[in-house]
Amino acid sequence: MKLFSISVLKKDPSSASILTSQYDLSSFGYFQRGSVKEFMDFTSVTIAERTSTGQRQSVESENNVGHVYAHPKGLAGVIFTDKEYPSRVVFSLLNKVLDEFLVKFPTDRWQGTLDFPELASYIQKYQDPKQADTIMKVQNELDETTAILHKTIDSVLKRGEKLDVLVDRSEALSSQSKMFYKTAKKTNSCCVVM
Amino acid sequence: MSFKDRTNEFHALVERIQQRTQSNTQERRALLSSSTSPSKPDSQRHHPRSEFSLMASEISRNIAGTTAKLEKLTKLAKRKTLFDDKPVEISELTFIIKQDIAKLNKQIAMLQDYTKSQKKNNKQVTEHTSNVVVALQSKLADTSMSFKDVLEIRTENMKMTKDKRDQFLFSTADQGQDEAALANSPLFKSRRRPQAAMQDATNQPYSQQQLQQQQYHQEEEQESTLSLGIPMLTQQQIQQQQAVADQDQYIENRSNAIESIESTIAELGSIFQQLATMVAEQRETVQRIDQNTDDIEMNVMGAQRELLKYYTSISSNRWLIIKVFVTVIFFFLLFSFIM
Repeated sequence: MKLFSISVLKKDPSSASILTSQYDLSSFGYFQRGSVKEFMDFTSVTIAERTSTGQRQSVESENNVGHVYAHPKGLAGVIFTDKEYPSRVVFSLLNKVLDEFLVKFPTDRWQGTLDFPELASYIQKYQDPKQADTIMKVQNELDETTAILHKTIDSVLKRGEKLDVLVDRSEALSSQSKMFYKTAKKTNSCCVVM
Repeated sequence: MSFKDRTNEFHALVERIQQRTQSNTQERRALLSSSTSPSKPDSQRHHPRSEFSLMASEISRNIAGTTAKLEKLTKLAKRKTLFDDKPVEISELTFIIKQDIAKLNKQIAMLQDYTKSQKKNNKQVTEHTSNVVVALQSKLADTSMSFKDVLEIRTENMKMTKDKRDQFLFSTADQGQDEAALANSPLFKSRRRPQAAMQDATNQPYSQQQLQQQQYHQEEEQESTLSLGIPMLTQQQIQQQQAVADQDQYIENRSNAIESIESTIAELGSIFQQLATMVAEQRETVQRIDQNTDDIEMNVMGAQRELLKYYTSISSNRWLIIKVFVTVIFFFLLFSFIM
């Protein structure tokens, strides 16, 4: 499951232009990277133009998917991933990125290319969606906890068996000690023979 | 067939009817004039009653007007054409009807406050006014129920048209999302008002007799507002036609994930319960073991005491033993002497 690029675009009703983007093209061959990057830029502009405000779309082609979300405030975010990456995580990441972008850059600074280093950290972090996405993390922890609990129940069952064994042994010991006591008492109180 | 000239009878009838309607208007004018002249004490009693009946009649007239608009909306919504849908008209009409319902709500609430402030010794008057108010409220509730039905029909039709359209056209053309969103937000906002107004209107019970009626009415109206709320939301979703599928996908995915988390947590809870039960069962066993070990300790201690006593008795009884030994040796010597 790989995340290839994140880009933020400025979206007018009819056109779109890239404001900032980050790429992680380590899985492509060295000579392919340039063309892949250009292709991604072009595709992101195209699908951002074709998406209406407040709409989320996912476009598939061969092995890769482009996810786009048009924010009502005139921004659009595009993320390219492979097919296995869960789309829910992508859209929540898009929401997060766009909100941060809006906080950092107010509307008047949306020209040319801007510097948004958090995108690089996000790409790195979200390469593994299971760790980065809160919902998946919670689900994972819950699964681990369930496994631990299953093991606990097994050990409790074994403990029960051992306790049963203990009970039997202690009962036997108790009866033997009783015999011991009686015998000792008998030898003490009986007739004064040798 | 012989003719009978009944025109005179006809004239007489017409005159009688005219007189009757004139007297009605005269009565109404008398009531109206009495309402505007507050000096007389008698008219004082007429004053609030006629004002009440004025307000009540206005409200019922408004309700009738709203019902007529609703019928028009029903006719529009029932059309199943693919292209000639007139969504603007329908949304305008729904907006107007919503506002009317909200206004009617407020008027009924005002009327109710008015009747509450008119604390009279005359029980029948209060009963009559409250009955009138309840009747108006029930009429309004009926209107809002039919409004809700119309909205449901409308959403179903929109879904159908969207499906048909998707079959024929593959375009993902924009549809003026902003306008739709704006049109929805006043609808959304006006939804809040009827909800609040209806709750206010029904939260004022004022006599023991009508308390139950009010409660029943409150539930009815709250139901109608709640069910009013839901079709409005789905209509809002469907009006964003292309975005529906993707939005639903994303939101569905999220809700699925959260549901699975919830079920996992519930499972965990049950596992913990099982664990607790098993440990509680084992507590009994542990108690038995505990008792057994206590018995063992007791027995062993007692045996040790006995042995100790025995030991002391043996060590103190030496003289007896020596005497026993002496007799034994004596007998042994005796036997050896005999041999």
